[in-house]
Parts: sequence; structure tokens; C-alpha cells
Amino acid sequence: MTEVVGVLGTYQSGFKLRNTEITFVEQAQQAAVGGLRAAGMTPDDVDAIVFSLAPTAFMGVADADRWSIDAIFGSGKPMLRVHTGGATGGSAVQAAYSLIRSGMYRTVMIVGAERIAETPDAQKVLNQIFDPFYEKDMPLQTITTVAMMATAYMQRHAVTQEDLARLVVRQRRNALRNPHAHLKGIITVEDVMASPMIAHPFKLFDCCPRSSGSASMILGNMDAVRQFQSRPAFITGVGAVSDSNWIGDRVVPTTEHDFIDWKLMLVAGQKCFERTGITDPVNQVQVAEVYDAFSIQGLTQLEQLGFCSAGTAFRLERDGAWEMEGGMVAVCPSGGTLCTNPIAVAGLVRAIEAADQVMGNAGEHQVAGVKNAIATAVGGIAQFLTCSVFSADFVKEH
Amino acid sequence: MVYHTARAALDNAGITRGQLDHVTLGACDELDGRSISSMLMAMPAGGYLVDEIKVTDSGASALCLEMARIKSEEFDIGLVSSWCKSSKTDVESVMRLRGEPFYTRPFGINMAVSDALFAQSVADEYGLESNEICQRVVDNYRRGALNPRGMKHAVPTVDSVSKSEYESTPLRRLHRAPLTDGAVSMVVVSDRWLRKHPGHKPLAQLSGVGWATDSYRLDSARLRSMRSARVAFKKACEMAGVGGVADIDVMELESQTGYHEAAYVRALGLSERTQISPSGGAYAQNPLFCTGLVCAAEAVLQVSGQAGPVQQPSVRRAVAHSGHGYAQQGNVFMIFDQVGDKFD
Repeated sequence: MTEVVGVLGTYQSGFKLRNTEITFVEQAQQAAVGGLRAAGMTPDDVDAIVFSLAPTAFMGVADADRWSIDAIFGSGKPMLRVHTGGATGGSAVQAAYSLIRSGMYRTVMIVGAERIAETPDAQKVLNQIFDPFYEKDMPLQTITTVAMMATAYMQRHAVTQEDLARLVVRQRRNALRNPHAHLKGIITVEDVMASPMIAHPFKLFDCCPRSSGSASMILGNMDAVRQFQSRPAFITGVGAVSDSNWIGDRVVPTTEHDFIDWKLMLVAGQKCFERTGITDPVNQVQVAEVYDAFSIQGLTQLEQLGFCSAGTAFRLERDGAWEMEGGMVAVCPSGGTLCTNPIAVAGLVRAIEAADQVMGNAGEHQVAGVKNAIATAVGGIAQFLTCSVFSADFVKEH
Repeated sequence: MVYHTARAALDNAGITRGQLDHVTLGACDELDGRSISSMLMAMPAGGYLVDEIKVTDSGASALCLEMARIKSEEFDIGLVSSWCKSSKTDVESVMRLRGEPFYTRPFGINMAVSDALFAQSVADEYGLESNEICQRVVDNYRRGALNPRGMKHAVPTVDSVSKSEYESTPLRRLHRAPLTDGAVSMVVVSDRWLRKHPGHKPLAQLSGVGWATDSYRLDSARLRSMRSARVAFKKACEMAGVGGVADIDVMELESQTGYHEAAYVRALGLSERTQISPSGGAYAQNPLFCTGLVCAAEAVLQVSGQAGPVQQPSVRRAVAHSGHGYAQQGNVFMIFDQVGDKFD
């Protein structure tokens, strides 16, 4: 017998480049306290903790999760730290979901913090994620590798740099309504095109910022939902997939899942939607908080998740299909990872935004009538993907 | 190393990689020397086009999450893998990186120092004496020498242990289990899957897991309390329906020093009825990050009667333990029961 899993409370700090006023531990504590307050819970109400923490090399403290345990009221409790790179937050939510769905725990707090700007150059750390024998000596890091993917995708589907820029303009505008967002504002396609070139076709504005901050989400079974949350969101589906880190193997004709169109997301999405019972995403999902560290990433995921056919998402962007108001589906009403990327909790923030939309807690960027919202996360070299569905109603999928 | 281990586990279970619907990994970036170690390692550990999650606490922690994943009824066949190549890593440098930068790191806290602080505290708490500690070390080496899966280290004498040089008072060099390289993989399947595949007989039933993490502080009150060990053990026993330590035939403890074993035996209230670490524990093989999951594999072999020269008679229930973090900040217990004719 498995348990229903509901969201009891969420918290996000404001995000910015550096957070010099407080320490990492204090950031984590802010998130823990914020989540507990949002749920109307005390520390004793939390049975277990999942700590969301990606590479510690950004900050240089290898046991940052264990260092934080007293501050997040976790001493003596079961705690696991989950780390799947950029997908960490998405995986952490899914780990906590399993702990509750299995019946092992009644309530689980997912908490994490990021202060990536402690390192002068995150991309040097991210070069260390590559294979030490063949790849590390090349200038590979997350920007250059995704840029290669973008170049091939744009050639295949006749997508222009201006098409990418339109997405950036929309999401920076969305972020204006999100008090937690790092980058926000009214900019133009010309502004994006004029921003400094980083790695073709990505200009500065096509890339996410390095964000510091913290976040938490508390999940519980139905008994806990009844006690703590009158308007919960339920996690009704999860899916995740892992691929090879060898990019060359993912672009050749014999590859099982084409890297250029990012067909890997189809695998995670299909499993997730199958568990939820979603068969027509455009009509069943109102909000998509897709993990888009770069302007190419979000819409390519929508194509694989079945919101539109391959190669059409950027054309639909021109038609306003992904706008918060008047679009087919509200894509990243928060501004997305493109505007705020605290890597350790970026996937968790996507999940929080999706849950908040369902719970009616999204504030000024609330989308009307949200029954289902999805959150994705991406880690490694676009090789670890998660997809989770948050719903107003629990859908019994089996 | 990881590929061959994962491959061997699948072959041993008679399961192909394509049958896996998920993998759960336990790995440490800092010990692996890569910022996201699973990028390179997930695939050799079976994580290709399947659901993958990595935890970083310990290999044994991955088995705890694995149990939740199986019990969620969303998965049926998983591969749990963990590894550590201690030989290519300056382990103590990594351990110093664990220290927070304000108070702990300037003191030069590392594994030797934090384990020594633990040893001081538990020696005081339980009145441990040098002879017992040295004898426990020698006994572990002796058992480990019989373990075909172990490193077959030379067995020291009590005298040589007691006279080896100090590394951090009261720890002497030979008190501490030598680090080794290693990997461990375990195929875990659901009850549902087993009933649909009667040709597969499991080696053991994972009946309960428990884990907990203590305060980050290294004060004597925390160290001597061994709270997370007691909490984790109690939780695992509750889940498995174990009434008390009298129901446990074998306990595979991850004891990084003789002090650890002496303290855990007392804190958990283990009696002479329970065989402690017949495998030799960390003194047989000690791939630091995954030593606890190695203990789990040894416990599985004990209840399945396949432990070879270190097999104990009539083992119906075996418990495996893992410790992680500074001075056993985190503890994990895993309880394995003999399957018997349940799936016949």
C-alpha cells in the first residue's frame, strides 16, 4: 500500500550573485524556517530531511550539508544528501517523494542552499565534470557544450538567434513579477543580440546568472496534508532518466536518443505522464516550469514532452504560445532558470514554482486556474533529467 | 572497477542491464576527484537510459533510498552501486575540506583527528582499555585474512598494534583500518517482481533500514552519546520487526578503529551471541566511502550461506552498519533476513 504525497509548504529566498551578509548554514536555516512557517509546522513535525546540494567545489566545503544539520533542526534525524548536478533539486524532490510514498516517513523536508559566487569562475569548476583523459583538456564546460547542441538544433530547424532572444525577453519580463528572481526587466531582442558573445550562438543574455540563495519544500502523506495544508499540491507523477556523458555517442546516427533534439526528455516525460495519467499535455497542463539554464533548453524540452512537435516551439514563441496570459501554456512564469540559477536548488525552485502555482501561492506571477503544473531539472552534461507533475487533485494512476 | 563490479552483480542475479528500471548510486565527488562524479560513473554502474539518483552520504545510504524506491511500488529492479578509489586520492586532504572554514578547518581537523576525538570520548564513556582495543584489531585482521573477498593483510600481533606509532592520541597507526580501493553493487528487486519471476531466488530479504545524522559539533557530549547510531539502529529494528539484539546472528560493523568496534558493541548492547564482523570488516577491505555497503554485501552472503570460509553457522538474520562524516556523525543500519522458502 503506497501513500499519497502532498506539498505542505514551500520557501524561496531572494536570489542574487553574492550573499555576503550570512553564511551558507544561515542560508539553509532561512530556508528550513521559511518552509516550516509556510506549512505551519515545528521542527519536531519533520521526520526526515533530504538535502539538495550540487558540487561542493563551488563553495569549497565538502560537508556543507552535514555542517548545516544543527541549523536546519536535523540533528539526530535521518538525512540524505542528493546530488545529480543541475538536476539535484529535481532528484531531491523525487527522493523525498519516494520516502513518503513508500510509507517510510510521514513528512520530509527538502532543503538546500547555494553560494556559487564563492568561486571566482564556476565554469572552471564545471570543466572538472568532464572525463579527465579525453575531454577535460578541451575547453568544455556547460556553456560551450550546450552551445554546440544549440548550433546543431538551430541549423536543423531553421531557428535564429533572434528566436532565442524572444524567449529571453519574455522570461525577463515574467521575472519582473517574481520577487525571488535574480535577473529581471524589460529588455528587447536587440538588447539580447547586442549583449557580449559568450559561445556561439549564446550571448550573455542567453545564459543564466550565477545565483546564491536557498529554498525548501516540505512533503507529507495524506495524514500530514490533512493536518497542515488546506490547499495542497499533490505530486502525481515523477520520471527521471540518465544518459551517457559522452556527447559524441549521443549525436551519431546510431544513438538511441538524439542529443540535438534532446529526445532524452521524452523518456523522463513519458514515464512521468504515464504515472500521472496525462495524455494531452497542452490541454491538461497549465504551467511548465522547465529548467532552462540557456535560452535553447526550455522549449526543446516542451517539444519532447509533447506540448508541440519537434522544431516548432520557437515558432510558437513568436505567436505568443508560451505567454503567461493568453498563451497555450504558461512557460516559466517565474522567469525560469534563465533568470535565476542557484545550481544546488535550481531544480527545487522549479518544483516550488510549480507547486505554488497549483496551491495558488505564486503571488503576482500566479496563473489562473492551474490544475497541473510540471517541473523539470537538468544535470550533468544534459544527461540527468527529471520531470515531476504537481496537481490540485490526487490522480490515482494505478 | 565499477563496471566490472556492476556487471558481476547483474550476472550473479541472472539479470541483464536492459531489465533494470532504475539505479541508485552512492558516490563522493571529493574522493572521486570530479565535481559531478556520477556523470562519468553512472553508465558503468548500469545507469544508462534508466532512472538514476545519487546520494553522497555513503554507499549504505544509497541502499536506504533504494528501499524507499522499491517500496514506492514505482520500481521493480534496481542496481545499487558505490565505489571508492582511495589509492588515487589524498584522503586526509579531502577530509580537511569537510571542515567548515571558520572554526573546524583552522584546527586541522581530519579523519585521524576526528576519529581520535571519538576514541577519547568513547574510551572515557565506557572505560575502554588498550588491551581490548588491540585485541579487537588483531581479531578483525585474523578474520579478514580468511575472507576471500578481503585484502588478506598480514595479521599483526597485539604487541605490535599497541606499540605502533601514534597518529592522533589515542589512535595508533595499527588501530586504524588500512584504506583500500573497491566497489560494491547489489541488485535489489521488488517482492512483486519476484513473484512474477519464480526462477529467480533472492539471496536475502532487506527487512529494514535506519539512518540518522548527528550534530556537526565534535564535542564530547555528542561523540560519547552515539545518538545517531542508536536512533538508526532502533529505526531499522522497528521496520524489520526485530525485537532485540538477541534476534541478530551476525553484525557486520564498519569499524574504522578498534575503539569504534568496542563502542558500538556497547552502545547497541550486543551480546556474545551475535558474531561481530566475521568478514573482518574494514580490516578485510576498506574502500572508505562504500565500506558500509561492503558490510551489507557480507551480511547478505551470511544469510544466504555463501560467505565461504568466514560463513557462520545457521545465520537467519544479519545486520550491516555504516558510519560516515566526521567521527561517525552519520550512521546507517541495514537488516537482512534469510529468505528460506518464501518464494519457492
